[in-house]
Parts: sequence; C-alpha cells; structure tokens
Amino acid sequence: MKQMIRLEVNGETHELAVDKDATLRDVLRDQIGLNGPKRGCDSGGCGCCTVHVDGRAVYSCLCYALSYDGASVLTADGLSTGADLHPIQQAFIDAGAVQCGYCTCGMMMSAKQLLDECPQPDEEQIRHGIAGNLCRCTGYVKIVDAVKLAAERLAK
Amino acid sequence: MNRMNVVGHSVERPDAYDKVTGGKGYPVNVKLPGMLHAKILRSPYAHARIVGIDASRAEKLPGVKAVLLSRDVPQVKFCPVFFVPVDAPSMVLDFDVMNGEVVRYVGQPVAAVAATTAEIAEAALSLIDVEYEELPAVFTPEAAMQPGAPQLHPGAANNVAKNPSFVAGDVEKGFAEADFVFEGVYETQRQHTCYMEPRVCVAEMDRQDNVTIHVTTQHLFGTREKLAYALKLPESKVKVIKSPYIGGGFGGKLELSYMEPIATLLSKKSGGRPVRLEQTRHEDFITTTRNPIKVYLKTGVKKDGTFTARYARSVLDCGAYATHGAEVIMVHGAFGLFFNYHAPHTHWEGQTVYTNNMIGGGFRGYGAPQGSFAVESQIDEICDKLGLDPIEMRLKNARKQGEPHPFNPAFTIATYGLEDCLRQGAAKIDWPGRRSARGGDGVRKRGFGMAVHPVWVSGCMGFPDIYEHSGAIIKLNRDGTADLASAAMDIGSGQITTLCQIAAEELGLPAGAVRMSSGCDTDNVPFDAPTHASRVTYSAGNAVKAAAAAAKKRLFEVVATMMEVSPDDLEVANGTVSVKGAPGKSVTVAEAAQRAESPFVQMTAEGPKETTIGEKGTIVGIASLSPTSNPPPCAAQFVEVEVDTETGEVKVLHAVYAHDIGRVINPAAAEGQVEGGFQQGMGYALMEHIQFDPETGACLTSDFLDYKMPTAVEMPRRIDSIFIETDEPSGPFGAKSLSECCVITPAPAIANAIFDAIGVRFRQLPITPEKILAGLGKL
Repeated sequence: MKQMIRLEVNGETHELAVDKDATLRDVLRDQIGLNGPKRGCDSGGCGCCTVHVDGRAVYSCLCYALSYDGASVLTADGLSTGADLHPIQQAFIDAGAVQCGYCTCGMMMSAKQLLDECPQPDEEQIRHGIAGNLCRCTGYVKIVDAVKLAAERLAK
Repeated sequence: MNRMNVVGHSVERPDAYDKVTGGKGYPVNVKLPGMLHAKILRSPYAHARIVGIDASRAEKLPGVKAVLLSRDVPQVKFCPVFFVPVDAPSMVLDFDVMNGEVVRYVGQPVAAVAATTAEIAEAALSLIDVEYEELPAVFTPEAAMQPGAPQLHPGAANNVAKNPSFVAGDVEKGFAEADFVFEGVYETQRQHTCYMEPRVCVAEMDRQDNVTIHVTTQHLFGTREKLAYALKLPESKVKVIKSPYIGGGFGGKLELSYMEPIATLLSKKSGGRPVRLEQTRHEDFITTTRNPIKVYLKTGVKKDGTFTARYARSVLDCGAYATHGAEVIMVHGAFGLFFNYHAPHTHWEGQTVYTNNMIGGGFRGYGAPQGSFAVESQIDEICDKLGLDPIEMRLKNARKQGEPHPFNPAFTIATYGLEDCLRQGAAKIDWPGRRSARGGDGVRKRGFGMAVHPVWVSGCMGFPDIYEHSGAIIKLNRDGTADLASAAMDIGSGQITTLCQIAAEELGLPAGAVRMSSGCDTDNVPFDAPTHASRVTYSAGNAVKAAAAAAKKRLFEVVATMMEVSPDDLEVANGTVSVKGAPGKSVTVAEAAQRAESPFVQMTAEGPKETTIGEKGTIVGIASLSPTSNPPPCAAQFVEVEVDTETGEVKVLHAVYAHDIGRVINPAAAEGQVEGGFQQGMGYALMEHIQFDPETGACLTSDFLDYKMPTAVEMPRRIDSIFIETDEPSGPFGAKSLSECCVITPAPAIANAIFDAIGVRFRQLPITPEKILAGLGKL
C-alpha cells in the first residue's frame, strides 16, 4: 500500500508514491535515482547513507520516507551544480581524502553539518563530527585534513 | 634518484571527481530494464542434512519469477579463489554453490528467489519449507581433530583439509646449540574486511547461455573463469563488466561466492531478465573473514640474539570449506613466520582444519598478520629477557640486499631498505628517548613498541600455481591524450591513478593526459591477475609501461617519417617529440597522432605527397607479460600508546611507519594506503572480532553496532609515513609494492607497546579492555 509524499530534494520537488516501510535512502536511490546516499548497512552503523533533512544530517537508512512528507533533503549529489564544486567536495579531492569513495558522500554530509554549526572546528571537534561515519581505506587522516581545509576555504 | 615528470608526484586522482559528486560507477548502482531482485534462503543450522525442500508456496506468490533449488545448480566442486585455476593442485576442491544434501555452517545457501521487488523475494523465502535433520557440529579446530568428532568432508581425515610443513637443517640440534629457548602460544581472531560497498551483482543469462555480469570483484578474469566453471559453460560465454569503481575489497572480494552463480541461474530461470543480488551487511559478515590461526612458536637464541633454531606449529580454522584457507596457511608459514629472518634450523607444521564455522577468506596480509603477531611479539619477549635492543636484534637476523630471495633462490633481493626503515622510523618517534617518556605514576601508563615486516611480496611471481601476468592496451588520441585499457581493478587503493602515471611517464605526456578506459570487460582487454598480493603497481605497472613503450616506438616511427630523421634519434617529453640534443625541431604528440590517422595526402613544399605505410594507422601499444622477479617490500613500525589502568582502554597516540616500497609512484596515494592500513591493523589489535554463539554457531556480530572498528575518534592523532626510496631494477620506474606490510605490523607493535606500558604480555587478539583489566588482576 503506497502513500503519496512530497519531498524537495536538492532543490527539486518530487511527488512520490512510497511504500509504508520504504526508507528515505531507498526512495532517494531507487525512486529518484540518486547515487550519493549509499547503502553500507541498514542499521545506522556505517554512515554511508548520510543526507541532510531540513538542514540536519541524518542516517537515511533509519528514516521512514513517509515520516518526511514536506521535508527538504540535500544529498551529496546536490552539494554543487555547474562546474564549480562545493568547497567541501573540492577539499576532499585536494587533501587526497578519497580512496574507494564509498563513504565519501556520507562523510561530506556529516562534515557539512559540522561546518554549518561550527565553522572553525578544532581537530577533536572534526573527529567527533565524523565519528558516525566509517571509512575503511584512509584511516581518516586525510579526511580530517580535508575538513580543516574546507573550513579554511569557507572562512574566506 | 632522478626526478621524473609524472612519476613521483601526488597527481590528482582522476576518480575523485566522480566520487565527491555522488558516486556513479559502482556495481551497486547498476540498474537494468526489467531487472529482478534476488534473496537467498540460508541454513539456520551449523550442520544438518537436508531431508526435503518444498518451494511450491513460494513459487505461487505474486511477483515471484524464479525459485532456485540445488537441483537447478550444477553440482560441481571447485576452488573459488580467483588467483588460482579452479582445479589448482595446491588447493582443496570442496566448494559448491548450493549443496542439496548437507549444510555445514549457519548461513549456507539452500535456495534462492528472484522477484519483481526485493521485498517480495524476501517474503517468498519464508514460504519455502525445508526439512533438516540436525547433525552434531564442531566449532573449534582442536575439537574437530579429536577422535569421534563429526567428519565434515569425505577425504579429510580428522577434518584436516591441508597439512603443509617444511624442514631446513635439524631443529633439535639448533635448540641444543641455543643459550636460551623461548616458547609461546599466540592466537588471533576472525576479522572482517569491512569494505564499505556490500557484495552485489547484476547478472543476465540469455536463452543461448550468454552471461553478462556486473559485480563487486577484485578480479575480472577470475570471475569469468570460476563462474563459467560453476555453470559448466565455456569461458567465452561469460562476459564480466569492469566496474570503474569498487567500494573497497581488501581481499574480501577475492573469490567467487555462491551469489554470482545464483543470480545468473535465477536470470536463466526467469527467461533472461537481469537479476540483482545485493547482500545485506549481515550476509557480508558471514561470507568471508580473516582466518583465525593459533601459533605455537619456539625460538632458540644465542646470548647476543642470533637465532639458532625456529619451530612453529600453526592451526588454522578454515570453517566449513577450505577455499582461501588452503593458501593462507602457506603464506602464513612462509611469509608470516619464516622468510622474515635467517635461522640455520627451521621446522614448521601447518594445519588447515574444517569446522562448522563461517568460511575464511582473503584479507590484506593473507596469513602474515597471524604469523607476525607471534614472531614480532616473541622477539620483544626475547629482547626484554636478554636485555637486547629490539632494533639491533632484528637487524642481526635480518636478510641483506644481494642475498637470494628466501622464497625463490632464482630471484635476488636487489633492493632492501630495512635498516634505513628501522633507523629513520626510530628517529621519528624518538625511540632512544622512550625510557624517559614511558610508564607514569598515574592511572594512565605510556609505552612504546615496535615491529617490522621484513619480507613481503610484490605479486606472486614464483608461486607454483598462482596467476601472475598482466596486460594493457594504450591508444594515442588525436588531441594528444592517451587511453589506457586494463583489466586491473581499482578497489580504492588508487591503481587508476598510478597506472595512468606510469603510462604518462613512459609516453612523455603530462599528468592527466592518460585516461583509464571505463568501458573494459573480459571480451576486450587482456588477462590480468587479481588486485591482491600487493601486485598491481608492480606487475600491472610493468605491463602498462611495456604497452606505453610499444606505443612510443610506433609514435617515433611516425614522427621520424614526418621529420625525416631516424626514430632512434627522438625523445618525447611534455607531449612533444623532438630530436635529442636539438629541442628546437619538434612535433607534438597530437600532430603525430593526427598524421597517423589522417585520410589525406600530406602537403609538402614539393606539392602533395602520398602518406607512407609507416605513418598510417592509429598509434597503439599492447603488452601482456609477467614480471621478472618478486622484490620484497618491507616496513618498520613504531607506536606510542597510553593504557588506562582503571578502564582498560588503550589509546594509540602516535604511529610511525617507515617503508621501502621502491620508488613511490604517487606519494599522497601511498600515504593514504599506509594510514588506512593502520586503521585495519589497529582494529585487529584492539577491538575487531567476529563472534559466534558457541552453542548454535550463529554470528553475533553481524553489523557495525556489534562489530567495532576504529572511527576517527579512536585513531591516533598522528600517523607519520616515511618512504625509503630504493630503485628496484625489475619494477616500473623502480617501484616495488605497498598495501600489505602496513596492515601486518600494527598488532605486534601495539602489543609490545602495551607490555612496555604496563608490563603485561598479551598473546591473544584482540587486546580488549576486559583483557587489559584481567591482565592487571582487576577482573
């Protein structure tokens, strides 16, 4: 039994018929066709599916889409449009923070939440800000560097 | 070493842009018209006979398009490990995709369903009635080898799947000559690779049995070979699509699982519709793991630390099927225990033992972390007892540059920077000053530790039946760029970048002018061995360099015609071909490529002139070759830890690595590999542990809430990577390999640092807070 909801996703409005047990992640991936929110688990354990809902970072695998009728969603796919990348995206490239890349989109969305709330974080704040996102490739070293670099560039 | 234009620079990863803008290019994204979704029904029992199975109710559920039972699956037994042939004599041929008679671990597939949605497929599983007759199960190798234990496979007496050994000299004589003999038992646990992208495949099998598959894999051609074998098809019927990106592997995607044949056969049963099978994280946790190994290690030493004899017995729990366990035990014995140091008398006995646990698999380090934990811990124990310096003790027994390789005397250790690694790493962490910095009177005690991995591989050249060759095709474009096509998989570690750098350097093109083709599959590129065994930069790099050299030869022939000079007099740099010593006269690579492909006659001062055979035709180069050696990379590691004696928590404060990996192709990518390696090694040392219910064999740690791996908070605030650049003559531009040494050293280094901090020796991983407190007598 599907129900209609309206979501604003990356600036576009979508009218969607969703199953009552569909997660926000699966609606974003399978019904809207986005790649940014990734499936790494189904239990809020890895952070690969992190998106912003009404300006707050959430694990979209733990959200029933039906509960978000009328919400505004931002995913990594929508962080930038056109030729210029968002400073967080550019910093992830420049700092060498991307390896397999599967955690990257969720990681950037957690970094964005941190920088939205705390524009000049220290290293401990950065590490705690991304502690809900697992990465198996980088040891987080260059990810922390990327968030520092993004903070510096956003301040300018 | 001479400075190069592209090699040796941290050029930007060409894949990074896709990955920060949403991440197209992963198998998980593949969606095809008419695609069905599959789910697997798995055994709830660790050991049971399948008495009967009835899927009639499931077949009637609306939306179900195919149900797969064992009778639909060719009953063939084979080795699913990618890097060996399916019938490799060194392996154990016991794996089957869906066994219709017996299940041997909790989670073994017994049926599968394809339906229009994953939810319907899941619902259909509960409508399949399976009658089991439970059999006695056994969960430890010790119990499995006891008389009267349940026998899991015919032909494996006492459940021993493989029992390799080797002897050199007379170990008893060596122990008699020793001033001291040290003994200990060292145990390691199951660790999961924790690649972030779950295993997924999308398979199609048409009515003429043509198979096309997109899959998370570390090996295109291994997937083709094993899938064709499992389905009893000629290899050429199977096309494996190379996904541009794979969301991590680390050895966890290094064999055919049951899922690829299941999805393919479901496609056939549903009339050729594509079938997508994506595992849940829970399913991934019980698919493969690092094999736990218990090592009994005995070492004889002279007073000065010289080894006189080394003996070890290793018992590996391979779980219900041997698969990788048959080779992990070999690498463990050789590269984990004995190749690392000289000893005049050595003796090793290994046993790979069946149990009703999950199947083991590949994982970065492949048996060496289990061995190195024993060896490097025991050396620390020896140094502590005899008052020896841990650095000098290791150097005293280490191999030397110019010696024959311990693995294959036909190879010489041409480059070996271990001593520099030790000296420079020690200086970085101020090893001599550690005495004053360690200990502490408070609750938190500091300590320093070190470990080395002295001999590792650059691929598998010299292994008797392991694939080791690579291929590459390079094509020059008329805009002065080049396309590189290769079957080598980039599973995240940066092979796309480093291989393109090697090609650009050889072709004299700027960084970024060589692009890895995103359209490769097993039909259109030469064979390449898997992305494993620290091999791609070295082995595939050699093939890419050779293909680039072939293209360059052809480029020079074209330019020689254009400039009316000899090809031998030409050189190329920054995309421009010029006469050696006369840089003023030049032709760009773009001009040469245009001329070679031009349909027009050429205009010259004397009027129109026919193009010659020598000019006509796209400039391409192709290579398929094996490397000529197997040069050992090596690494030294130093760590500083802080142990909270009230909570048992261990914090790693600082980690230093010094590696000899030959010439570094991309320093930033190399650092990234090392830093990630520490996360995996530290997790192994302190927290990661797949655990099972001891009564039922069911996995208890099958998601990231129960299975703990280090987050950014647990990681040390400082990881330093030093690279001692040697110039390996057999490698591309002097490169050897990276990837695995950095995962092997952390566990013993951390255990040694904990001993330094609190004086308690831990010989069983992971060293959890509970073990720390018990070791301190507080539990």
